[in-house]
Amino acid sequence: MSETAQPTASAEAGSTASVPVVEGRNIIKRFGGTQAVDDVSIAVARGEVHGLVGENGAGKSTLMRVLAGVLAPTEGEVLIEGRHLEPGDTRAALDAGVSLVHQELSLVPEMTVAENILLGSTPTRAGVIDGRTQRRIAGEALEEIGVSVDLDEPISRLSVAMRQFVEIARAIARRPRVLILDEPTATLTPAETDHLLATLKRLARTDLAILYISHRIPEIFTLCDRVTVLRDGKLVICDEIGNYTPDSMVQYMVGRELQLDMANRRIDPELGEVVLSARGLQAPSVNDVDLEVRAGEIVGLGGLVGAGRTEIVRAMIGADPRSDGETTVTLDGRRRRIGSYRAAVNAGIAYIPEERRSDGLALTMSVSDNIALPNRSKLSRTFILQRRRIAEFARSLAETVNLRPPEIKREAGQFSGGNQQKVVIAKWLGRRPDVIVLDEPTRGVDVGAKAEIHRLIRELANDGAAVLVVSSDLPELLELSDTIHVVRDGRIVGVLPGVGTEETEVMALAAGQREVDAA
Amino acid sequence: MSPETAAATSARPPAARIEEELEVTAFKLSEWMASQGIFIFTAALVLFAVVFIDGFASLPNLTDVFNRAAPIGIVAAGMTFVVISGNYLDLSVVAQVATAAVVLIAVTNAVGLLPAIAFALLIALAYGIVNGIAVGVFKANAVIVTLSTTFIGLGLLRWLTGGSIYFGDSDGPIRTFGTTRIGPLPLSMILFVVVTIVLSLVLTRTNFGFMVRAYGSNREATRLAGVNTPLVVIGAFTMSALGAMLGGFVLAAFSNTAVSAMSDGYDFRALAAIIVGGTSVFGGRGSVMRTLLGVIFVSVLTNIMVLTGLGFGFQQMAIGLLIVLAVTVDALARKTRAS
Repeated sequence: MSETAQPTASAEAGSTASVPVVEGRNIIKRFGGTQAVDDVSIAVARGEVHGLVGENGAGKSTLMRVLAGVLAPTEGEVLIEGRHLEPGDTRAALDAGVSLVHQELSLVPEMTVAENILLGSTPTRAGVIDGRTQRRIAGEALEEIGVSVDLDEPISRLSVAMRQFVEIARAIARRPRVLILDEPTATLTPAETDHLLATLKRLARTDLAILYISHRIPEIFTLCDRVTVLRDGKLVICDEIGNYTPDSMVQYMVGRELQLDMANRRIDPELGEVVLSARGLQAPSVNDVDLEVRAGEIVGLGGLVGAGRTEIVRAMIGADPRSDGETTVTLDGRRRRIGSYRAAVNAGIAYIPEERRSDGLALTMSVSDNIALPNRSKLSRTFILQRRRIAEFARSLAETVNLRPPEIKREAGQFSGGNQQKVVIAKWLGRRPDVIVLDEPTRGVDVGAKAEIHRLIRELANDGAAVLVVSSDLPELLELSDTIHVVRDGRIVGVLPGVGTEETEVMALAAGQREVDAA
Repeated sequence: MSPETAAATSARPPAARIEEELEVTAFKLSEWMASQGIFIFTAALVLFAVVFIDGFASLPNLTDVFNRAAPIGIVAAGMTFVVISGNYLDLSVVAQVATAAVVLIAVTNAVGLLPAIAFALLIALAYGIVNGIAVGVFKANAVIVTLSTTFIGLGLLRWLTGGSIYFGDSDGPIRTFGTTRIGPLPLSMILFVVVTIVLSLVLTRTNFGFMVRAYGSNREATRLAGVNTPLVVIGAFTMSALGAMLGGFVLAAFSNTAVSAMSDGYDFRALAAIIVGGTSVFGGRGSVMRTLLGVIFVSVLTNIMVLTGLGFGFQQMAIGLLIVLAVTVDALARKTRAS
């Protein structure tokens, strides 16, 4: 090491050997009222691959972003080789040697592989881009992770998997001391995954500290030396990998104290004919999906974030284009093909999207206007808006969903998340939908609003609607669904009954810990 | 942590906090300015002009202000639909106003008034549909599309007319329209008020206007509500085209002449009125009545500059400055609302 040249530095270097490369001390991170990370301490040593696992929403990504200096913690401190890291200063974190491989790709599609790998630290000579050095560094980084790709190829022409590798090469090119990867294998094939895991193991031996976030349990066992399990933002356990079994790990991930509220469960719901049916659905992140929902039935789509659940429902109802397959809605013996989203709406499908702020609501408009939007044809036969009728209509629906405060003239953007979600549901209730598709209906919603939304969903099913719910919230899925379909890698990997299914069974299927032949 | 770094970190927050508070104040102020400012500013400006500017409060001057404001105001009222739909602006009004003016006078001279109006109406529909299809169906950028249709339209007009000036019949219907007054009010001003009221009702009281506002507020949510969104965009550009056509008629009637260069700067003047009125360039927020206030503000300001002897260059600079100020306030206000 070059530091040994100076006596003081050598003393420091001697001490850093025992100091973890990256350490988070009593990290707390709150977003508004929710506690995403609750007093978690974590340390990763040189040469170690440290796994970070947990359910959706356990706080993994938030903790990782705090450690990478992207987010400032509400309380607590991050240390890089024993030195305080200025919170929320991405540049300082990079300079300190923390490299983060994002879950969402952050490459510039129009630029070449070499340009992307050195983005932000492009080498220059007298202010002019030094293409040769750029290509050399990029080439070395790619060689290091054992990937061969044309350095001059624009990113937009690469496969998603190859982009992921370029992203990793970019992190490596910065010569980091800590490499943080968030679900890097989500888009990779098994062979590519194996290659990546082998590469990471090799890199760890070059004195790198690796923090590896995944909900894929087999990968964790292949790769990691130690594993930290998070649940509901809290640290459950941190131990050597040898002290876990796949089953015990799943148990740690889901074993919450909270008991399922089965009191409200529907008992022996009356199921009718198949109303919503999809056959051989193909779309980006959707692989040959068949799905059926009967009248009066609540079907839950479970799985991990990024498994393709949203993509499946959107392709199903035509909100996104599909490359193959067919969706039909059958009502009163009449079978209709759903060729476009507008056809879906006309056939009586209501869709409550995952992103209510960006896709569900016109935030600058009043609650009343939002509710009127999908009900225009019903509310005014002429082209003139019937404002009094709209107001009455909106008021009664606001009452049905128990909007708080019940002020329908207020802008939608001024309500809390839970009440915004109620507005999104209310606007579709007005159409008395025969099919209702809800994507994460209670995410970011407080407990009271959540119970009310559950009540509404049950009432809809009781009235004979075919209900399809996507949820990352396992208890919710188990409480609501009559049937649960578990999705992984854009496929349905298992169908479980709503009654009598344990959280661990769903989790094991979703995480690929238990391999079940796809139905 | 060493004592020095501890001191440094504890010394930083107060300064940062003051900066933050200043920012918060600026945001709150801009929120207020964007939502309420125009009412107060317009009233204050008119009051200032009445008290301090010699010759402002005379009937001939006020008539002149309104005669100049009418065509811009009508154009701006129509263009408000495009801005509220979240498509920034319609630059092609420059070509549309000149085309409508030339068509009105030239075709009336050659064939008659009604064919002239029918022909102009066809041209307006063509503009609305072409701009609307490019932007609404093919998702092309509205600024570039309408800049291009301006080039196409003006180019065509100059090529066909050779840049010559058309004069209306000295006792024809256009001349009559341009000179008729009801009491002290010129007919053009009454038309301006009527168009503003009608377009305001279309925006607030009809299904179409409702969808334009919803689309401007959130495109994806509006699409997911089952709305035929391309049609909404085509409609918004058609409203703008109709406004530009009527604005062109009024402009031609005012002087009983028409020339391809007569509408220079109408795009930015109309935009200035819309944004100064408080309609957001981010879409979804605003009204035709606000545009009316914006037109009054810009027109009175321009008139003050004329009366105090500030030249055209200065006026142009002031309008530019006003737009920058208004869009900055708009952006800050939006950020405040988002947080």
